[in-house]
Amino acid sequence: MKNFKIIISLLSLCLFLAFTGQAQQTPAPEQSRSVLIVGGTAHLGTGDVIADAAIGFKDGKIDYVGRAFQVDKSTYDDLVDASGKHIYPGFIVSNSTIGLQEIGAVRASRDQYEVGTFRPNVRSVIAFNTDSEITPTVRTNGVLMGQITPRGGVISGSSCVVHFDGWNWEDAAVKMVDGVHLNWPTTHHKHNKDGVIDIRKSKSYDQSKQEIKSYFTEAKAYAEAYPNHSLGTMDVRHEGMRGLFDGSLTLYVHADDARAISEAIHFKREMSISRMAIIGGYDSYLVADLLRENGVSVLLNSVHRLPRFKEDDVDLPYKLPKLLADEGVLFGLQVDAQMTEMNTRNLPFYAGTARKYGLTEEQAVMALTRNVATILGIEDRCGSIERGKDATLFISSGDALDIISNNLTHAYILGKSIDLDNRQRELYRKFQTKYGFECLD
Amino acid sequence: MLITTTFNTVVSLAQTPSQHSSTFPVNGTVDKHLVRTVLENATVHVDENTVIVNGTVVLFRGLIESVGSPEEVVVNGPAIRLDMSGYHLYPSFVDLHSSYGLPKVKPAEWSRKPQYESDKKGAYGWNQAIRPEINSAEAFTVDAKKSKEYRTAGIGAMLIHIPDGISRGTGSLVMPVDNPRDAMLRPEASAHFSFRKGSSKQNYPSSLMGSIALLRQTYYDALWYSEASPLGLAGGTNLSLEAFNSNASLPQIFSAGSWKDILRATTVGDEFEVNYIVLGGGDSYQRAEAIYSTGTTVIVPVNYPAAYDLSDPFLSRFVSLTELKHWELAPSNAAYLNDAGVTICFTSEGLKSPSDLLPAVRKSVECGLPVDVALASLTSTPASTIKASNLVGSINPGLIANVIVMDGPIFDSESKIIEHWVSGDPTILVDRQALDLSGNYNVTVGANSFELEVKGSTGKWKATELVNDTTTKKLDLKLDDRTVVMGLKRDEGLIRMTGNVWMDSRIWEGTAMDAKGNSLEWSAVKTEVLTEPVDEKADTTEVAHLELGAITYPFTAYGSTESPVKENVLIESATVWTCEEEGILEETDVLISDGKIIAVGMRLQPQEWIGANAEYTTVSGRGKHITPGIIDEHSHIMIERGVNEGTQASSAEVWIGSSLNSEDVNIYRQLAGGVTCAQLLHGSANPIGGQSAIVKFRWGLLPNDLLYQDASPFIKFALGENVKQSNWGDLQTTRFPQTRMGVEQVFYDNFIRAREYGQAQFDYRQAMRKVKRRDILKGNFPLAPRRDLELDALNEILNEERFITCHSYRQDEINMLMHVADSMGFRLNTFTHILEGYKVADKMKAHGVGGSTFSDWWAYKYEVKDAIPYNAAVLYNMGITTAINSDDAEMGRRLNQEAAKAVKYGQVPQEEALKMVTLNPAKLLHIDHKTGSIKKGKDADVVIWDANPLSMDAQVVATYVDGMCLFSLEKDKELRENIRLERARLTEKMMTSAEPGEKLKKPSERVRPHYHCDTLTEENR
Repeated sequence: MKNFKIIISLLSLCLFLAFTGQAQQTPAPEQSRSVLIVGGTAHLGTGDVIADAAIGFKDGKIDYVGRAFQVDKSTYDDLVDASGKHIYPGFIVSNSTIGLQEIGAVRASRDQYEVGTFRPNVRSVIAFNTDSEITPTVRTNGVLMGQITPRGGVISGSSCVVHFDGWNWEDAAVKMVDGVHLNWPTTHHKHNKDGVIDIRKSKSYDQSKQEIKSYFTEAKAYAEAYPNHSLGTMDVRHEGMRGLFDGSLTLYVHADDARAISEAIHFKREMSISRMAIIGGYDSYLVADLLRENGVSVLLNSVHRLPRFKEDDVDLPYKLPKLLADEGVLFGLQVDAQMTEMNTRNLPFYAGTARKYGLTEEQAVMALTRNVATILGIEDRCGSIERGKDATLFISSGDALDIISNNLTHAYILGKSIDLDNRQRELYRKFQTKYGFECLD
Repeated sequence: MLITTTFNTVVSLAQTPSQHSSTFPVNGTVDKHLVRTVLENATVHVDENTVIVNGTVVLFRGLIESVGSPEEVVVNGPAIRLDMSGYHLYPSFVDLHSSYGLPKVKPAEWSRKPQYESDKKGAYGWNQAIRPEINSAEAFTVDAKKSKEYRTAGIGAMLIHIPDGISRGTGSLVMPVDNPRDAMLRPEASAHFSFRKGSSKQNYPSSLMGSIALLRQTYYDALWYSEASPLGLAGGTNLSLEAFNSNASLPQIFSAGSWKDILRATTVGDEFEVNYIVLGGGDSYQRAEAIYSTGTTVIVPVNYPAAYDLSDPFLSRFVSLTELKHWELAPSNAAYLNDAGVTICFTSEGLKSPSDLLPAVRKSVECGLPVDVALASLTSTPASTIKASNLVGSINPGLIANVIVMDGPIFDSESKIIEHWVSGDPTILVDRQALDLSGNYNVTVGANSFELEVKGSTGKWKATELVNDTTTKKLDLKLDDRTVVMGLKRDEGLIRMTGNVWMDSRIWEGTAMDAKGNSLEWSAVKTEVLTEPVDEKADTTEVAHLELGAITYPFTAYGSTESPVKENVLIESATVWTCEEEGILEETDVLISDGKIIAVGMRLQPQEWIGANAEYTTVSGRGKHITPGIIDEHSHIMIERGVNEGTQASSAEVWIGSSLNSEDVNIYRQLAGGVTCAQLLHGSANPIGGQSAIVKFRWGLLPNDLLYQDASPFIKFALGENVKQSNWGDLQTTRFPQTRMGVEQVFYDNFIRAREYGQAQFDYRQAMRKVKRRDILKGNFPLAPRRDLELDALNEILNEERFITCHSYRQDEINMLMHVADSMGFRLNTFTHILEGYKVADKMKAHGVGGSTFSDWWAYKYEVKDAIPYNAAVLYNMGITTAINSDDAEMGRRLNQEAAKAVKYGQVPQEEALKMVTLNPAKLLHIDHKTGSIKKGKDADVVIWDANPLSMDAQVVATYVDGMCLFSLEKDKELRENIRLERARLTEKMMTSAEPGEKLKKPSERVRPHYHCDTLTEENR
């Protein structure tokens, strides 16, 4: 049960907002006062956990991580009491279309599918809508950062990493471009016949693979011949690929099938691509050795989904994270199922299920934080509560990985205390008030 | 085995026509057909039970004139006598499912542009899939190539029809002979049906349930038409219905397919007292008992599945366990059906060539089908099934002269069809008189002489010159009828020889020509008859071991070989979420027996409840939580071939329950998530959807056994973007309604018509009460109003005998529908989804409607922009019966977590949140007196969890439905192991059984789509 004080404070906030109307979704002001969170259990995202912790941050950076009784509280402007609560690094959603699509059925609000087969130069960052109404509902549950990813084609384009708070995309961006997304051709295609879907080996598979290879070979030749692009010889599409060959960008290969994954890994070696991650990875447990030995990580599709095959273990999607953890494969969890954007607020609970089906508590937290940051190449800044890292973290009054206890009281992005309200809460208050009920939230 | 008798009654044709008449003028002189054909000294298999050793069969003018022993059969007049010593005569096969000689049916391609009305010209019915007026006899033409194939296969008569549509018109009994007038034995022999709409481009029906409803409505229409039409009250002539009525006296054949479709077809048949003869799909063995209980005769196809190439372990995952097991058991199909008591007829339908029929039936015999049944199923049974035993199916006087000559017993794998007499004309497959050339010969050619050895068999003779003990030379030898041609190589050049074979090949004689062009005489005299050494190589048929896998229920992964039983179970000392006034009870026992919860309390003594001698199992509940089985108010799993019949604004006539798939693995997955019961809803493609089915997940039972007995009938309504086709593309803009304004009018229009319809039915009943008996006898009484299945359902709503679950999002339309209901005088039962319910919760409360909502879905459509996860909490606060539903197979198995969201968003107390997926949906479905809580006397639908069920830490330990444990972690482990072992066994078997060079199928998968409200498919061709 919740703390009575919180109810009162929220109630008053709710009454306040009921009078002022619009829920506040304004980006938070820069951190001007230093903050020390005292008490509570800190899940650092590194695998370590500190009981009765103290976390301090100034100017957007964490400058203290330790035990509450050891810290000098006087050096901080504000103290936040987290006793009995849990502190986590901000959760990171990867492979997300938040900010690219607002309402699935409204074409005008869809910005994730560009036209063309190979379009690495298309970048998601400039279409990331910081004013999406979905983002605030996601922050409320602890997801504070995202990798925004285009869809479709063979090479969909490049993704970016953003904070879920900002006046505009420049403001929100952590990394304007973090990698290029390749949809591995389907080894088996579906066609509807007689009320059943027949899945057969795709006739065009070998050809599609050849086309990908040619495209990469060309892009590589270009990158080597023109180390610095200059007018006259500049090919914008090839420029989009350059980073893959010098290791500055990651190649994200969207694939679920065992054969596709293993062929993608061969492709990595053939093309000397240093950074690769699999997105999807339903069959990754079948080729775990290959993944580990080649340093290829996996961003697993929604834990809450149905098994692919009728014969599969009923709980296979639930225990996939555990199977990968046991094999030493670096992995993170993501939300790529139906209604990705709105479902992102359930990402913490995917980790909750993975924990129930074998991961340790801290492994489950890592699957949403540092593991993801490492795969996205931002682990030097984000993904864990460590001295010197971005102060992007939150406090939940209970276990954030469980639906009934996930309840954020404070959240910070780069030290900025962000508003946890959203339009849905606003509507809730509006009608609870209409009917004369309290706003319990 | 067969009864061997000396046939002692000579039956001869009573009335032999003295003249062979014809209505056709003769161009030339008349053939009087005076000569009989006598097949003598044969083993005559008159039918499956009767054999005449050394029998005689007399064929005359295309018919069998007499049959019997030589003493008994008197041949009058001139006759050709054929010696059939050593041969077996069988009646020709009769195939009841064929489209031989008929135009090919092209299924209509899916078109983006809708077609709502029939485009068939003429005075026909409204739906193009109802084609009873089609007459196959009129469309029939001889196909000489195909007819020979049939004759070669031993098939002497086929029941043909045009396999197009739901009501397909009449079929004809034909023979595979080249004169169409001789071929056509019985032009109108049968009436045909299916659930597939075939070439019709009309949108309706797009689903299986739509087909079923359309067929039922057609029966009602036809009945009404037969009464209304003579009175001139039928609204004009309808040739389709007239044909439908006149076809009713024929044998009715239903091309069903899977065993589920057989059960569906017979259900329709039962409603209208029609005994369909059904075409099966080769999987009938999976539910042979159920098919037996329908009393139907099954036409059995024998196109057994080919083996898959399973060499790649990853790719072989695409081949399901069902397919693997089916590959193994399919040849046993007929044996299983026969063992269950089902009457069967074989068909060549689905085979690449009709010649594959006999080998495939032999496989059935290998798998245990008795030979007499096998023979009957090819001959007499199909004949009697279509009341044609007087024409075909046995070798009896008066029947068509259809006789197969074989060189051995029919089901011996070595036996061949030698000749096939159809309508008295032979098709010779093997020359009975063929010469046996084998032997050694002394050959003299001019001055040359040498020794010749001939080996081989008919058509494959090999000749060798034996030069001396160690040297041999091959010779080129050809035999054409009785002419032998040889080439002899000599140093001088080639000597070419031609000659005739005489005296059973003892002497050859002829003329040769040497390299210089000189003519020579030559001859060969046989010196020695070669006896072929007995082939000692292993008999390959012995290898086929008949160790077969067991049938599981369902016949899919996680099926079980045993039927589930209602157990006596004491769950001890658990935390029990009663969902009743008692709240959550700690350290409490729950006792279940005979499918019911019989006690809830502390330290229960089972003997006090179930008797001292009753056995029971004790399950420790320590540290565990017990909840009622979860109930999903809104599910679309286990629906076969279409969740929407959205082709019309109202499809109130269709019923989801008519197309249940009890084999959907998602049932098991729901059980693994603690779900025991669900309402299976029609989709939301139209304002008035279809009737729903409330089911319990009794995994392993037959489709109808999953239906909740005595449940109130429900129907799906829908509002908003789906029904106005907002997101269906720019071509879908012609069906009414296209706006929310139109949606309201659809409701008013339909309800007003339903009320008038109800009134008409009432008036009729009142009027009939006043009619005097003698007037009834005179046929002097009012015409009954036409029964309309659609208006029936709507009228039930008006009478509050059927209840609405309405798909709804926006407050305006929710409000509107409540006004419609108020003005029509009924109460809405449930708004499902009800995402803006929180905006009109006060109005909902006033109307008395319940809400069943998503926990947190939004942002997928424009109309769900204002959906909030607090919706359930607001509705609950208002005192509205509130449920949380899935609409999704995945979410359905985690409804406990979805309920937990009501705690998170809006702080609903935990037990009240759990009620949103247990007791509250039970209330909304009117089954709360039976299930939905842990209470003495209620159904034992009980779930054991290992933690607080609302927590992410909760996993189902066991799920009981009606006291049957249908999921438990223990059993699940066992089943997984069984799946692994069974797959491994079958993979091994499939890979080792493949013949070298056999073409294997590439792995492929047959999966059904997962349905949501807005899944639109055309699955009915």
